[in-house]
Amino acid sequence: MESPLLFWGVILWMIVWGAVGSVVLRRRYLHRDLDTTNTVFVGAMSGAALGPVGLAPLWLTTPKLGNLLIIAPALLTVFLIAVAFSFADPDNICVTSSGFVASQAVNGLIIGIIYGFMALGLTLIFSILGIVSFAHGEFYMVGGMLVYFISAVWLPGVPPLVAVMGACAIAFLIGAVFERLMLTPMYRGKIDRPVEYGILVTFGLAFTMQYFVQAVAGANPVKAQRFIDFPRMRWPEDSDPIWVKTSRGGVTLFEQVSVSNPRLIAAVTCVLVLLALMYLLHRTWTGKALRAVSQDRDAAAIAGINPDRMNMLAFALGGMIAALAGALLVQAFSWLPQVGNIPAMRSFVIVVLGGLGSLPGAFLGGIMVGLVEAAGTGCIPDAQKAASYIPAYGMIVLTLTLLLRPTGMFGRRFAAGTHGKF
Amino acid sequence: MMRQVPNIAAVLFLGVLVAFPFVYTAGDYDYVMHVLITAFFYAILASSWSMLAGYAGQFSFGHMGFMGIGAYTTALFCHYLWVADAPTGLCDEVEIFGTWFIVVDAIGVTSSTLTQDCLREALAADPALSVGRMPVLLGIVLGTVMGGLAGFLIGLLVLRLRAAYLALFTLGFSEILKATISAEIEVTRGQAGLELPSLYESGITLLGTTYDKTAKLPPYFTMLGLLLLCLGILTWLARSRFGLFVRALREDQDAAAALGVNTTRYKVLVFTITCAMAAAAGAVQAHYIGIITPNLLFLLQMSLVVAMAVIGGVENFFAAAVGAIILQVMLELLRNSFEVGGYEIDMTIWRLVFFGLLLMITLRFFRNGLLAPMIEYFTRGHVAKETVARRQAAEAAFEAGREAGR
Repeated sequence: MESPLLFWGVILWMIVWGAVGSVVLRRRYLHRDLDTTNTVFVGAMSGAALGPVGLAPLWLTTPKLGNLLIIAPALLTVFLIAVAFSFADPDNICVTSSGFVASQAVNGLIIGIIYGFMALGLTLIFSILGIVSFAHGEFYMVGGMLVYFISAVWLPGVPPLVAVMGACAIAFLIGAVFERLMLTPMYRGKIDRPVEYGILVTFGLAFTMQYFVQAVAGANPVKAQRFIDFPRMRWPEDSDPIWVKTSRGGVTLFEQVSVSNPRLIAAVTCVLVLLALMYLLHRTWTGKALRAVSQDRDAAAIAGINPDRMNMLAFALGGMIAALAGALLVQAFSWLPQVGNIPAMRSFVIVVLGGLGSLPGAFLGGIMVGLVEAAGTGCIPDAQKAASYIPAYGMIVLTLTLLLRPTGMFGRRFAAGTHGKF
Repeated sequence: MMRQVPNIAAVLFLGVLVAFPFVYTAGDYDYVMHVLITAFFYAILASSWSMLAGYAGQFSFGHMGFMGIGAYTTALFCHYLWVADAPTGLCDEVEIFGTWFIVVDAIGVTSSTLTQDCLREALAADPALSVGRMPVLLGIVLGTVMGGLAGFLIGLLVLRLRAAYLALFTLGFSEILKATISAEIEVTRGQAGLELPSLYESGITLLGTTYDKTAKLPPYFTMLGLLLLCLGILTWLARSRFGLFVRALREDQDAAAALGVNTTRYKVLVFTITCAMAAAAGAVQAHYIGIITPNLLFLLQMSLVVAMAVIGGVENFFAAAVGAIILQVMLELLRNSFEVGGYEIDMTIWRLVFFGLLLMITLRFFRNGLLAPMIEYFTRGHVAKETVARRQAAEAAFEAGREAGR
């Protein structure tokens, strides 16, 4: 970085004014007896973006904090950080090469879709059972492992689709059995602190599953074959640059943005399954029952829905979604029993960012985290350091969300499906 | 008499632990001692975590992070600060009361050549220069203070967070810390690890016997002493108003606040104290092992602490500590692999599978852990019987009075 002082100076300035804004604005709204829900977030963001200039009008007029006032300062802050970065480090590849930026953005989007899909499972479990499943990463790992074992060891030569579906079915089964055996006492009020019980018992499941797989499969990395080879083609034939060019291992857009085959397949499958899931949740009786239980457990029970069965379904379905994400990515990464830790952390970040229990929030949050990570890995000057910090980017997002807006983007303040307080 | 059984058992257990290093003479002495020292280390972590999670209801998954802060503080302190009797002229140095404090350059892993390490260069140039390390004890104290300070700050940040959010936030804190330590290779040497002087670098003489720096006995008693100190502090806290307030906070934060408990203060305090204990344990363990790497902060380590505390009994820190010692010893005993019908069973992994299963079964069927109910049975088991007897006596007296009145 050419002038790091400039960049870190701007960041420090933003942090100071953001902190001042979040505290001052909340006090002001409290003093005037107004709704303080969004004051911390808006105060921090407008303070960070515009400093005293942004805060003074808010302080004086105390307007109603609608969507525009929530989103605009946040976007402005992100934009200003980008501007400060480009001034501080004019030679950086993120600033000089638009092709690189487009490539990073597309890859961030694609990986973000997969993250969001995985987080969807976690938020589904949370919205219905009211627990955060710490075993989510292990379901992801088991999904990938099963695809490898089915397609390469147990039944060599089966089509990848069968292997993926087999992995999903087994993960569904594990989830259902675990829920029946371990989580049922939570619903009867037999446990004083169900939230903590849920965390600890899924933690135990994660521990057991990880070491079970390590004991059975060994600690050597495995990798599955690519599911499908793309046909080699270029379109349109005689233009410069060529808009779309495909080879067996990937797709190149405008000769700038290249996306590898496994990631594209995974992202497309995720979107398709997501659409199927949306159909299930909004158009079928079971899906409607699931949503009803997440809104109000008792009312759903009165309407003839068995909430316990929905609990089982939600946990199994959530586990299956994570397993599917793993099953699709096993062709892209080499697979170890510990591989689930980082995606699990990412899912936690995403569900908190999107709002615990909110399905669209999880998906949007996933894309945002994907983009943040792409920017973080692509733009930090020291590449090795940037790679080491990958787990930290998401955690910074998590910390900021929890401090500024604990309900996340679309969080419901009172999620009825929860069994305890949050 | 029944009531005293757990106390007698505790004294006996402690007696065995104190006498053990003098009585045991088998060939694997060093190995067994090492297992026990590690067990005490986990016992400190498990008991302080049970204070935080079981007593105060703050399910923090960042306990290993605070332990790491303690360990890395003392490691960086001992690695970068030296004292000398004369100026080197090459390093950054300050003179205080005739002693020169030297700050060694951070050179990372790849380059430990003579020209980049200013202290070694100075020593090569001037062999008469006498250079000494900073005292280990000061490093440990500093580590403890830093751990407590970090606990204080995190405690302030998580005031508004409950249950699931708290768990995620603390886990995130621990992960950021691990990523930072792994990434800042110039300072922390990343996965290569930082070397530390051992606890008693120049040896120590106890009861007329001199132990050199690799002997296991002095660190054994240091760790055991630290464990007893922590348990003592925890007992004192639990029996005072602090324990009462903290338990009220666990049961219902709003009700406790309404009854006049300063919830902010006690939440922050309990974080500070337990995190300082974790940091102290980390600092001593780091000096004992002699090298620390970021792997110390893996989630597995946190899982072990949580599992030990839960299996022992999360709402009773004595049970958590004893549970940790027993489980650590058991885990070591189960290390031996064996063969069944041609299949090699690799127990180094399978023992952890059984450990996880044990954790889940304990949670499902023995919610207070395995050890805590036993203690409860002896100390409070008679209470129910006494109450019933007293009630029956009162009823009989009432009946008798009515008979007489008729």
